[in-house]
Amino acid sequence: MKELKIQYKKILVDYIENQSERNLYIGQNFIRQLIQKNITPEEVIHMHKQVMEEIFPELPVVSRHGYDFLIEIMVYFGLTLKEHQMLLEQQEEMRIEMNVATKIQSVLLKTTVPQIDEIDIGMLSIPIRKMNGDYVHFLNDEENYVGVAVTDVVGKGVPAALCMSMVKYGLDTLEYAENNPSYVLEVLNRIIEKSVDDSMFVSMFYGRLDLARSIFTYGSAGHEPAIYYNAADNAFYGLGAKGLLLGIMPEMKYEQTEIPLYEGDFIIMMTDGVTEFRHDDKIDSRKIIEQLALTYSHLSAQEMCEKLYEELQKLQEQGLDDDFTVVIFKK
Amino acid sequence: MNINVKFQKDGEVVHGYIDGEIDTYTAPILREELDALEIEKDLLVQLDLSKVSYLDSTGLGIFVAFYKKVVKENAHFKLVGLTARLVRLFEITGLSELMDIETNTKVEYNNESI
Amino acid sequence: MKSTINITTEWDIVTAREIGRNEAKKIGFDTVNQARIATVISELARNIYLYASVGTITIETVEQDGKVGLAITAADQGPGIEDVRAVMQDGFSTSGSIGAGLPGVKRLMDDIEIQSQLKEGTTVRVKKWL
Repeated sequence: MKELKIQYKKILVDYIENQSERNLYIGQNFIRQLIQKNITPEEVIHMHKQVMEEIFPELPVVSRHGYDFLIEIMVYFGLTLKEHQMLLEQQEEMRIEMNVATKIQSVLLKTTVPQIDEIDIGMLSIPIRKMNGDYVHFLNDEENYVGVAVTDVVGKGVPAALCMSMVKYGLDTLEYAENNPSYVLEVLNRIIEKSVDDSMFVSMFYGRLDLARSIFTYGSAGHEPAIYYNAADNAFYGLGAKGLLLGIMPEMKYEQTEIPLYEGDFIIMMTDGVTEFRHDDKIDSRKIIEQLALTYSHLSAQEMCEKLYEELQKLQEQGLDDDFTVVIFKK
Repeated sequence: MNINVKFQKDGEVVHGYIDGEIDTYTAPILREELDALEIEKDLLVQLDLSKVSYLDSTGLGIFVAFYKKVVKENAHFKLVGLTARLVRLFEITGLSELMDIETNTKVEYNNESI
Repeated sequence: MKSTINITTEWDIVTAREIGRNEAKKIGFDTVNQARIATVISELARNIYLYASVGTITIETVEQDGKVGLAITAADQGPGIEDVRAVMQDGFSTSGSIGAGLPGVKRLMDDIEIQSQLKEGTTVRVKKWL
């Protein structure tokens, strides 16, 4: 402190003799050093007062009172400043932890899109924040069936991500792609209902494709209906089903429905981040998605997903405000 | 983005009026207001959502948790005045089967199943 | 020397500050440390006044291992602190409670001890060595 005071005195004396920009600049650099050394504002003012008294022994008493007053009030200022710095450090720590968590989530929830001859599958899932509240899980037993679960956990961020791990675990234990959608939904409902609190739940669309018969069987637990394009009719249909969200009531039953898939047919499964236009409820988003899908139906399923994202993003004036997930099965 | 919640007790019925958008940011306010309500047996809590222009899944979560709490206390819960947009949300999520929901404007929801 | 001040009105906070500052000056603390001690007394007394309504601030000179210092004890029968460890963390939201600003108080002093029992009260004892 003594050393610093000598330096400060020199800088101040230089400035009092010559009020140059250079001397001001030196003063500011000196303050940088003091901040690094954790010198508090009241100490700086105290130092200034002492130096002034040394340079001008006849400093009027009112001036001394003025400094004392400033020292007094700056104690509190310093406390608040320090607290602010600590919060910034904590924030940085959290940011780092959040990045690690995001990486873990993406590894944990990694799912591979099955590459098979019988059906062209595309998938795109874009989180609005770091943690994704949407999740897509594929089950594929090579020859006979492909299962797909499109999930949306209520809420966003960390709680949603934790809940998601449970959904994944539940789906992993089911193991086989040939399970009936109604059975899959019932099992998951039981798991989630037991483990999470009352305001947490999951919506899920579950579909299973019988590769040999080309029959798509689906069920829904409170999920946004999928869009089905029937090439022969050149018409779109909604694939909705009665079924409560997962995790609300125990022992729920879920219905399932079968549709045959023929050449040129496709099914678009998505989360409400795709259909929800928050700031414009007059837009019929499902009609828009249908039109876009038709326009790009000559592309591969994956390219269709990407085009949908691109075009819908353009339509949302303020950008998308939810996790965006779309899966396309194209025969 | 803002939300306004008002309650009015009328014998065995508590009328709640919610005005605004219910999303991730305003949902905690709504939860606090609902949590503060004292739920007695046979009480009917009727929430008027006619002034709710937007409701997201976090908001749905609040209603689900509150519904469960009310049922546990042997009281009743009813949502009234939902806009077409909100009705669709309650229909899709299957919550309309579970909860007592009344709409002012009769909206026929087509489940779109084929 | 040892003085105890009852904190019931806002002006009692000023009295406690004054006594604390005079004592600090007498022991030989410099202007900056006098200001710090007064700030600490202010913070502790305000917590009593705002959140416990009644309590005392005790100011005394202490000696230990040849060191001289000042000890300030704030005692109340207020609501108490649920998690003492938590309130000592920076950024833990304590505004509006008896634990408000304790990390700052700790930073201005050398020692801090907190004892608290929910619904029974809180005692905070801080020391600053010369």
